[in-house]
Amino acid sequence: MLTWIAGFIVLVVKLVAILFFLLMAAAYLVWVERKFLARLQLRYGPNRAGKFGLLQPLADVVKMLTKEDVVPDGADRVIFRLAPAVVAGTAFLMFAVVPLGRDLTLFGRSVPLVVTDLNVGLLFAFAMSSLGVYGIALGGWASNSKYALLGSIRGAAQMISYELSLGLSIVPIVMLAGSFSMVDIVNAQKGLPFIFVQPLAFVIFVISAMAETKRIPFDLPEAENELNAGYHTEYSGMRFGLFFLGEYVTMMVFGGLVAVLFLGGWRGPWLPPFVWLVIKILLVAVFMIWVRGTLPRVRWDQLMTIGWKALLPLALLNVIVTGALGLIMSP
Amino acid sequence: MSAYVPVLIMLVLAVATAGGMIYATTVIGPKKQFPDKMEPFECGESPIVSPKLRFNVKFYLIGLFFVIFDIEAVFVYPWAVLFKDLGLFGFIEMMVFIVILAIGLLYVWRRGALEWE
Amino acid sequence: MTLYGFLFYIVAAIIIGSTAMAVTRRNLVHVVIYLVLSFFGTAMLFYLLGAPMLAVLEVIIYAGAIMVLFLFVIMMIRVDSLEEVIPPFRQRLPAMLLGGLYLGCALLMARGTPGAGASLPLLTASPKELALYVFGEHWFTIELVSLLLLAALMGVLNLGRMKADEAGKEKSA
Repeated sequence: MLTWIAGFIVLVVKLVAILFFLLMAAAYLVWVERKFLARLQLRYGPNRAGKFGLLQPLADVVKMLTKEDVVPDGADRVIFRLAPAVVAGTAFLMFAVVPLGRDLTLFGRSVPLVVTDLNVGLLFAFAMSSLGVYGIALGGWASNSKYALLGSIRGAAQMISYELSLGLSIVPIVMLAGSFSMVDIVNAQKGLPFIFVQPLAFVIFVISAMAETKRIPFDLPEAENELNAGYHTEYSGMRFGLFFLGEYVTMMVFGGLVAVLFLGGWRGPWLPPFVWLVIKILLVAVFMIWVRGTLPRVRWDQLMTIGWKALLPLALLNVIVTGALGLIMSP
Repeated sequence: MSAYVPVLIMLVLAVATAGGMIYATTVIGPKKQFPDKMEPFECGESPIVSPKLRFNVKFYLIGLFFVIFDIEAVFVYPWAVLFKDLGLFGFIEMMVFIVILAIGLLYVWRRGALEWE
Repeated sequence: MTLYGFLFYIVAAIIIGSTAMAVTRRNLVHVVIYLVLSFFGTAMLFYLLGAPMLAVLEVIIYAGAIMVLFLFVIMMIRVDSLEEVIPPFRQRLPAMLLGGLYLGCALLMARGTPGAGASLPLLTASPKELALYVFGEHWFTIELVSLLLLAALMGVLNLGRMKADEAGKEKSA
């Protein structure tokens, strides 16, 4: 009984630490994005709150907490209130399967540095990602506003379109690793990260991940020049904050998935495993920010063409080629 | 069983975090309501027609195509995990499956259902 | 009662409760939400019965894909609520009769099957075992499924285009 309670406490502490890390990382990713975008555009970016504007995320949180939480007339109050939590919650749950490092030994007991190692881990992440669509679709629908509804239907159509190529692009990875468990996939990259074996899958996955996070060049659901703010037009205060936070947590999660699936996860020389993982996640996130600073928004027909006519056939082709090569090369 | 207990705790923690933030904002934030403010945003105009507008039937088609190809993906996953053990027979089996659905994609493509003007 | 049995009944109650809510709601979007909850519960039930792979696939396909499609339809055809449309009794009667028949059959099955009261041994099917079973034993069914999906794809396309032609050129989104 005592060991059971001790194990439970260790588990809860670990989960709280991971959640805290995720929240802080998402908050500071916003800072990184604003600073980096500003430098790309020859501006300073936030530099008033603290040194280099390092306290800016804190100031933002205080600001959003002290704003009024408006529920517009005619809105479906219950769904309107719940939708942002769906976006943030599914993003948190997706992170549960990302392995953070080697097993840790603490007070004589081994603590695996992953929330949970499911034997269907990868599929669990996709299942959560497919539930995230509801936050967008229902949030926009419940707002009773034209912009929000247009944004949410666009968002839902975009997310389901890219979910296909996202899901099929990792099939070759599963074929190589022979498992859905993220821990097994990291272990399968002991010699060579999968990015060198599966460059095409990597490209498809990263593009689809950018579309899933609804970032420029795929930010049509919230295109500010035509839809004001798209699906979260009517949201204010911390409810808007949760949509915002959800987007950045999703960025972190997809960064983590790219790191685990293609860049070897926490593996790397010299530095501690966890540091390597953070570096790799940051690399992916900074790449996404850089893309935002570089590319214009695609048109809707271009978006659908990229998803259905380029990424989906390429992902299928990649599965076939990987299968054929795997058969030829195996004795 | 035990593998999902952390997921459950994570769910509780995530919901508590999100709920706590929302609760905090409703407590701390000001509450000044007047009719114009509670209207849905429409660039300063008062909305005249209901926002429940009609959508292009293509969104519905895209949704249906998604369901069909998602089911395809679901059949590909278990094959992928056992790819090494199933060998040539499994490979041919899956190729027939994928090619038949690729024909479907090609058909939809050629009939112009993926075009947006 | 074992812990598994306890969890089983909790999950079963969630499924039945959310499905009942889905059936009785007037607002169609609420119906979709309760159905998603119901499918989520079904996934948990699959997991309890030792099929984690099926559980995840249930969420991906039913909750993540089919219900999104339902949501699209509801958003598209503008029937948010069925305030006025209460089906007449002659439509409800066959539904009730069939529902009662179904319930009766299920109860008879549960009562009549030998060993229905015995507790199940705890088995779990790992993804690999499931794959081996499906692709080893039922390879022909898989090919038939692909043909079925192809037929569905073509049917959907033609139906959708027919509707689009009827409605004329509608430009939205």
